[in-house]
Amino acid sequence: MTTLTRQDLNFGQVVADILCEFLEVAIHLILYVREVYPSGIFQKRKKYNVPVQMSCHPELNQYIHDTLHCVKPLIEKNDAEKVVVVIMDKEHHPVERFVFEISQPPLLSIRVDNNTSAISDTLLSHVEQLLRAVILKISVCDAVLENNPPGCTFTVLVHTREAATRNMEKVQVIKDFPWIVADEQEVHMQEPRLIPLKTMTSDIVKMQLYVEERAQKAS
Amino acid sequence: MASKVSKLDEQFKLDAPREKPKDGACSSIFTGVAIYVKGYTEPSVDELRRLMLLHGGQFHVYYSHSHTTHIIANNLPNSKIQELRDQKVVRPEWITDSIKAGHLLSYLQYQLYAKQKGLSFPSVSVHQGQEPAGPLHGRHLPSHSLNNHNPAPSLGQPLSRHHTPTSSHSHLHTDNLHPQPNHYNHFAMAASASRPLDLPSQSDFPPEKPLPIANPNPSPSPVCLNCSHHNVFPSNPTPLETNSLSANTFPSNPTPIETNSLSAETFPSNPTPLETNSLSANPIPSNYAPPHHDQQSAKVKTGGIISEFYSHSRLHHISTWRSEFSEYVNMLQSRMRATGGATFPGRDRLRRLSTAPGPQSCILHVDMDCFFVSVGIRHRPDLKGKSVAVTSNHGSGRVAQRPGVDRQLELQCYHKKYSYPAVSERKDGDLEEITSSETESHISHGNSVDQDTAALSMAEIASCSYEARQAGVRNGMFFGQAKQLCPSLQSVPYDFQAYKKVALAMYETLASYSHDIEALSCDEALVDSSALLAELSVTPDELASAIRADVRERTGCSASVGMGSNILLARMATRKAKPNGQYLLRSEEVDDFIRDQTVTSLPGVGRSMGGKLASLGVRSCGDLQQVSLQRLQKEFGPRTGQTLFRFCRGLDDRPVRSEKERKSVSAEMNYNIRFTQVDEAESFLTHLSVEVQKRLQGAGLRGRRLTLKVMVYSGHGTCDSLARSVTLAQLTDCGHLIASEVIKLFHTMRLKVQDLRGVGLQVQLLEGAHSVPKDPSGPKTCYVRDKSQSSSHRTTSAVSLPSDSLPNTAITDTCTSQENSSSARVLSPFSTPRPTSPAEPITGTSKGEPPRTPNHVDNRLNLSIEVSLPSQVDRSVLEALPAELRERVEHSWTHRDTEKTHNGSHQPLVLQIPKQSGQTGSTGIILELSDFSQVDPEVFAALPRELQEQLRSVYGRRENTQGIMGKNTVYSALRKYSAPLNFLENGPSTSPLQQDDPETLSKFTPCPEPTLAGACDFKDIRTLLREWITTISDPMEEDILQVVKYCTDLINDKDLEKLDLIIKYMKRLMQQSVESVWSMAFDFILDNVQVVVQQTYGSTLKIT
Repeated sequence: MTTLTRQDLNFGQVVADILCEFLEVAIHLILYVREVYPSGIFQKRKKYNVPVQMSCHPELNQYIHDTLHCVKPLIEKNDAEKVVVVIMDKEHHPVERFVFEISQPPLLSIRVDNNTSAISDTLLSHVEQLLRAVILKISVCDAVLENNPPGCTFTVLVHTREAATRNMEKVQVIKDFPWIVADEQEVHMQEPRLIPLKTMTSDIVKMQLYVEERAQKAS
Repeated sequence: MASKVSKLDEQFKLDAPREKPKDGACSSIFTGVAIYVKGYTEPSVDELRRLMLLHGGQFHVYYSHSHTTHIIANNLPNSKIQELRDQKVVRPEWITDSIKAGHLLSYLQYQLYAKQKGLSFPSVSVHQGQEPAGPLHGRHLPSHSLNNHNPAPSLGQPLSRHHTPTSSHSHLHTDNLHPQPNHYNHFAMAASASRPLDLPSQSDFPPEKPLPIANPNPSPSPVCLNCSHHNVFPSNPTPLETNSLSANTFPSNPTPIETNSLSAETFPSNPTPLETNSLSANPIPSNYAPPHHDQQSAKVKTGGIISEFYSHSRLHHISTWRSEFSEYVNMLQSRMRATGGATFPGRDRLRRLSTAPGPQSCILHVDMDCFFVSVGIRHRPDLKGKSVAVTSNHGSGRVAQRPGVDRQLELQCYHKKYSYPAVSERKDGDLEEITSSETESHISHGNSVDQDTAALSMAEIASCSYEARQAGVRNGMFFGQAKQLCPSLQSVPYDFQAYKKVALAMYETLASYSHDIEALSCDEALVDSSALLAELSVTPDELASAIRADVRERTGCSASVGMGSNILLARMATRKAKPNGQYLLRSEEVDDFIRDQTVTSLPGVGRSMGGKLASLGVRSCGDLQQVSLQRLQKEFGPRTGQTLFRFCRGLDDRPVRSEKERKSVSAEMNYNIRFTQVDEAESFLTHLSVEVQKRLQGAGLRGRRLTLKVMVYSGHGTCDSLARSVTLAQLTDCGHLIASEVIKLFHTMRLKVQDLRGVGLQVQLLEGAHSVPKDPSGPKTCYVRDKSQSSSHRTTSAVSLPSDSLPNTAITDTCTSQENSSSARVLSPFSTPRPTSPAEPITGTSKGEPPRTPNHVDNRLNLSIEVSLPSQVDRSVLEALPAELRERVEHSWTHRDTEKTHNGSHQPLVLQIPKQSGQTGSTGIILELSDFSQVDPEVFAALPRELQEQLRSVYGRRENTQGIMGKNTVYSALRKYSAPLNFLENGPSTSPLQQDDPETLSKFTPCPEPTLAGACDFKDIRTLLREWITTISDPMEEDILQVVKYCTDLINDKDLEKLDLIIKYMKRLMQQSVESVWSMAFDFILDNVQVVVQQTYGSTLKIT
């Protein structure tokens, strides 16, 4: 057994892989639960051993996939502070913001088995359990949230740490799919109310999910 | 399987005699060695088995972790090597070569692969079979009592002593001649983990205590042998001998105060020599822990050795000075804050001199020049400029030789030992040989003491002057050897009081300039002079010379000052400044300067790391600069690598920490631990807890987390260190609580008590009581308070009593009798049977009693207070008590029971949260006390004064509140009292239910997680809150603030989910509560939380 630290390249990737996979599932599920798209385009799948809904609309899937593909390098370098799924009304004012607040322990060390050079199974299964809990929480979040007005759209924002944006300009992960600075309008919400959904703490990542909801959604 | 193994062993034994006739060459070389053969070997398994048969070893067909001592293999796959990392894996040649050589060779050269686990205990086997063992000790002199207790020294019993009860000589067994570095470590560990008990205890270092120099005995004392240990162990036989039967070594030694050490004086005037030589008795293979009740284990069993040890250890004392001076600096700072500003006389003087503008940042490292020497000779001008060494030897460097000692031979052995540093095997065959050859040489040399063979003093030099250093004398050298190097070398005795005085004077001097001082040790300190220099605009050199002149004037000793822009550079500059100089390392010189320094001059780079670096080809810091950070981090770990990387470039960002928070308080003993019974270990842990309690109280601290560290014997002197922690539900400094927790921890570790070699106890997560550390009543009152917290099942009057003294005495007694029997059992052919005095056990018993009786009102009361409840007493301990004592204990129980039912006067302080609100109305958290009229005045008078006062005030308060009761002003009225009992701060322990079962609350948790009164698990917090809200009708402001703080912590910890759940839980409970105060409290909490959430997230929590 040796100890891997953040310096070891492959480790950041592991965390990013796990998180992006999870975020993809979560975004699909949020879109379903919050009825941003008609339920007809969703299919039931199984992920983390629980049923989840996944869109089968190819363009939507592509968008989500590409977005996360661009998020991944940020997470890898621990540059992403928050990944936010914003649901906006017709006037493009946000009504709900699903905030995934990610923090990775600064001096991270996980034990890695020398022989297989893979992160131990127990760790992974532990993370999976935690992620499953978050997914389940998302699927029932409509209980604590008000209904959204019809005709909503969504977008994905990333809050980066410090100077990460500068690098993002330089490296375009996917051609013609650059990051743009979010509109002030998309970020700010009037009278936000905070609803914590779930916090997960594991050895490799700490993440909490909360929803910010606009007090009056109808207007 | 076990039966199969034993059957195989049986078979092996049967085979042994059958093999013998076939081959004439049989011996017992391998006694104590048990091998297990793995894989293909050359010679074959069968051959090895036969060899082991012939030469007294054992052969295991199945590997047993505890019994197999060596694994024999020619090659092993990598995975096996990983698996067997902790074992001794040896090539078969070891066996064949050993047989060829006719004795057991060190296995080290035959290790299959390098980096096997080293020996953490000194191995003492000098007595190799073929060595011409000479007269090692004069056992036959009738005036000598040999207390040579260990049949297997390689087990890591490092000390054994000979002594003469009549003439106060004390010698070390030859085994101890070799300064065993590990041994040193153990004490250093114990000492560095130490803590000043309190200031006076150091200053009253009584001169009559058998410090070697102060030893009033005129006899030419052969302390020489002893001296190799002096620095390690304060040469004081008391901690070692306290409970051994061999009587008091130093008749002039004041009677140890410890209850249990009384048995040491069993024969204070008994002229009969006691010979309990177990050296050649009882041949036990060295890899088995001998289940002996020898004196060693007896000592440990009677845990008084702990406080004895700590109160006498000289090293311990010196090590406590640092923390003492840190305290001193802390005190200065707090005083300064209190007065709103400070006067710096030194600074004012310097202000007048001020000329040049100073540089930006400057750290001064002030270090006294060979402190011990300069203090020693400050009133002896005749010695100035001469070669002087501080040591315990007074004279010529030669000492009259004790008859029967052949120093040459011992030295020879010593060197031999060094060339075979880690031979750990020891065989009984050897022992026999030694003892016999000893006898012979004793006859030839023993009685003729002539000057030629007179030994060189082996007193160790603690410190020597620069003149002596020039002649090649080094600190730590033996005095005799040094004397040869430098014939003019003069010796100066230790003078601990003077050291302390001078050190204090130095700190006072520094404090007259600045309060930014970090105490490094008794003779060196760091001063952050950046602000000072800027303010005065003087150059660092001017400051340094002013300080040095001042120190010289005040102390009469010279100091050197190194200056640099950071701590590292200041320290390195001091090297250049010495002796009696100053050196400013300018930032432009740093690069050149540091490049030429050897790596070992960097702080933190010791011998082992230096060696490791040398193997990388790195000798100087310049070399080190060539090594990449990655490489260093790979070799030494991320943190150390980073530090090295920075240090070798002269970078150091550690601040001068004038205020240091203690992180932990601990006590540890890795010496002389041999338990045979579980209850021995338990009682030892209890004593250790009491020691920790003393230290906690001395520091005015209470801790929440307990760590039990044990060293476990794992074969052949090697030890594994294991540690377990538990987080308590509340802060504590109560020895009992600690003890019960620790014993629980100990049981969860499921260790064999026989395998224990060291036990340490550490308390972390400290909080004070620190606000009033200097107030003498501070810690005490806090203790009383704490006591009253935990006393739901304990009567409080135990506060002033060593409440463990009863078990102590009990054990002392049992030990005495055990020793009787054991010493009778281990009679060696060489020792005259020890005359067992028939009066002895009785003496033991009666000696054990007195300490319980004095200064208490009456015996019955005393007993009933001290004895814990029947349920808490270990039955086996009770049964081990003499009948008389047992009767009294039992009597006291019944007595107490009846009394309890009659008037309850023995529980004047049972604190409980009122269960039925009807009884006390809405008194809030007023304690449930028996009525004042019911309190037995006699009991009350016997209480310590603080406790009395506290009780009175509590009673007074209750009357007050009862008066106010019924009106609606309760809220404000209660607040005025600032009751000492704070519910949440002290955790839920106030409920007796939970105290009985603290495990449910105390769960191991990673430290940074926010906690509420020690609880961090959601379930625990809920329990805590429910208890708080339902039992108390009127929340205290402090408690509410605690909750708010906890919620804030949760927000900062980004655990909104938990926060949400807790808020919802509180909302439900508090708004349901009949008291409107509670819903007000909830609103208050919620408002505060929302503000923080708003600040952090820009939105507020949605509360449904």
